[in-house]
This record gives sequence, structure tokens and C-alpha cells, in this order.
Amino acid sequence: MSERKKTFVITRFDPDKDEAPRQQSYEVPVQKNWKVLDALNYIKDEIDPTLSHRWSCRMAVCGSCGMMVDGKPSLTCKDSLDGYGDTVEVSPLANFPIIRDLVVELEGFLDKLKSVKPWIVKAKEKAVEEGTHRQTPGELEEFKKFSLCINCMLCYSACPVVGNEPDFLGPAAIALGHRYNLDSRDEGDAERQEIFRGEGTVFSCSYANECSEVCPKHVDPAAAVNQAKFRAVVDWATSFVTTRGGEG
Amino acid sequence: MARAAHPHAMQSAKPSSTRTAPPMMPAQFPSSGRYRAYTLFGATGIVYLLLGFVTLRVVWALGSGEAAWNNLMSQLQNPLYIAFHVLGLVSVLFVGVRFFSLFPKAQPPRIGPAKPPPAPVITAGLYAAWIGVTVLLGAILAGGLF
Repeated sequence: MSERKKTFVITRFDPDKDEAPRQQSYEVPVQKNWKVLDALNYIKDEIDPTLSHRWSCRMAVCGSCGMMVDGKPSLTCKDSLDGYGDTVEVSPLANFPIIRDLVVELEGFLDKLKSVKPWIVKAKEKAVEEGTHRQTPGELEEFKKFSLCINCMLCYSACPVVGNEPDFLGPAAIALGHRYNLDSRDEGDAERQEIFRGEGTVFSCSYANECSEVCPKHVDPAAAVNQAKFRAVVDWATSFVTTRGGEG
Repeated sequence: MARAAHPHAMQSAKPSSTRTAPPMMPAQFPSSGRYRAYTLFGATGIVYLLLGFVTLRVVWALGSGEAAWNNLMSQLQNPLYIAFHVLGLVSVLFVGVRFFSLFPKAQPPRIGPAKPPPAPVITAGLYAAWIGVTVLLGAILAGGLF
């Protein structure tokens, strides 16, 4: 199998020893068709077992292995090394606090995600004997792409607002909240609109569109955020003649 | 080297169980890669601000009599002013094209029972409206209508 050497410049940070993150270089014999994650696993297994990085499924489903590769957010199990030069820089996801090496703190994201109530909200649960909740293919199509998010957080690393405005809910959380607002089975639109209209939320987005550019699952969070803005404005405007939620 | 992000970016309200390094902005922000178009899009705001001052000056001259008006008109023949207005035109074209490309997907899948038309139809409508308004204003300014 053909192989050639590449130099990987990896960000290292040990909270017990390092004042600040530093960089460390590794020479890796890269094989054809390797992904960035393969090289990181090679370093971990063969060169330096102290390197910390997250990964799990290796098939772009779990969303664990998001990192910055040559300064750009990348799902490393999906990102082929063929497109990179002889030196590849790998660092932890931008805009997140760094726990260790390439591992970032996710608690802040989970707080934001929870705040948009990413579940079906119903005023009254349907009794089992009343049957299942029915939904047409057309109704499903309205939100389906926003439900494909794997929480890889690349969109948060690409967003120029996330790094400057700590209160901003961010692309993935808004996309998921919007996904439930579009779901015909859901009745939580009014609750989520209150959250979306609050300080630092949907209107903080300046529509850079970078979140959609880097999304490995083509969720298009920029569309979700800007559709949520549109709905928030319509809801605000109609609130002068109806109760919030658009019902008379 | 990337610059530091806001120290509280993506931090939980709960204190972390371990010491963390502060978040960093993406390394390429704001002057390279795809961010360049976004940064330029925002930077055109400076051009519009300056155009606003020029417009105020025009309005002021209009209210100050014929001599002031003629004086300003001759000043606007200056190549620097002409170059600035060309920059303004390029800025408007750039912002228009970027806005029209992003506008269709910002439309919700439906408003009440109504669904928006397909994205190419929306984009075509925006360009048609833009060209229509430009032709109309051009005709008015050329004295062809009033």
C-alpha cells in the first residue's frame, strides 16, 4: 500500500501542566485513502499515547470527532487527507473552552440545546387508545433536513457570532428548536418563540452562512436560524391583533 | 495565530470540573477563506455611511440656493467623488447579489396555508424587481417620465 510522510502539528494542552495550549509536531506515514482521524489514531497508537481526542463511529454519524484542520472546522472521520499538503495543523474546535489537547468542553452547548426544548411539546398527551400521531410526507418534509443534525458542533466553530456573543444560542440549537416548531405534532411554538426572541438569540445571527457551509450533514442551520427570525417577526407583528402564537 | 474568542463563549453556567483553556476564534477569521465575502459584505456599511453624508450634503446644498447647488455639482465632477460613487455602485451590486442568493432559503416552508414559490422563482423575482426599479429610476432621472 502506498504511503508518504506528512507532518501533523497538533495543539496540546494539559490542564495540570500547561499554562496555555502549545503545539507539537508528529511525522506520520500516511496511507492512501486515510482520513484525518486515521492519522490522529496512528499518533495515539504508535507515537504518543498521551494525545487526547474524541471519536467513536468513524462513519460521520456520532459527531464526536469534530476538530479544526488547517484552521477550518472538519469532521475528521469524513475529511480525506488527500486534499491537504505535507503539513497539516489540527487544533480543537474554535469557540469552545479546551479541556485537554483536542477535546473541548460541551456543557455550554448542552445548556443551549436544552433551553430550546428539543422535544415534542404537547398541551395534553394523547391517550394510547386514541392511536398514533399522524403526519403526512409533506409535513415531514418541512422539517426533515433540520432533524439530521449529529451535534458535531462544526457550525459553532464556524460561526463568527458564537465567539463574540456568549448568550447567542447558536446554529445547531436554533435549528433543532425550529425543527420542532415546524413539526405538525408539536404545540411548543409559542414557548420557543419566547426563547428565540430573547436577548442574544436568533437576531444575533448576521447570516454569515458559514454554519451551513461546514455542516457535514447538509442540515443548513443558517436557513433554520433565518426562518426562525422570519417567524419571530411575523409572530411579533401578529401579536398586536391576536394572542402570541398567532391564534385569535 | 487565531485570536481569543470571548472568554465566556460556549461556557456553561455551571463551573467546569476541570481547568480549561480559553476558547479561540477560527484561525482564518476574518480576512481569508469564505469569511472574506462576509467581512466585505459587512464592510460595505462604511461606504453607505459615507454615501449618507454625501446625500445630506446634497440636500443641504439644495436648500441653500442655486449657487450652492451649482458649486456642489462642480465638486462632484472631481475624479475622487466619481471613484467613490463607482465604489458605492460596486458595493450595492455585491450586497444585492449576496442577499438575493441567501434570501430564498430564509423563507419559512409555509406562512399559514401558503407556501413560498421555489427558490429560483424567488431569486428571479428579486432580480426582476431590482432591474425594474433601476430602469424606472433611470427613466425618472433622465427626465423621460416627469
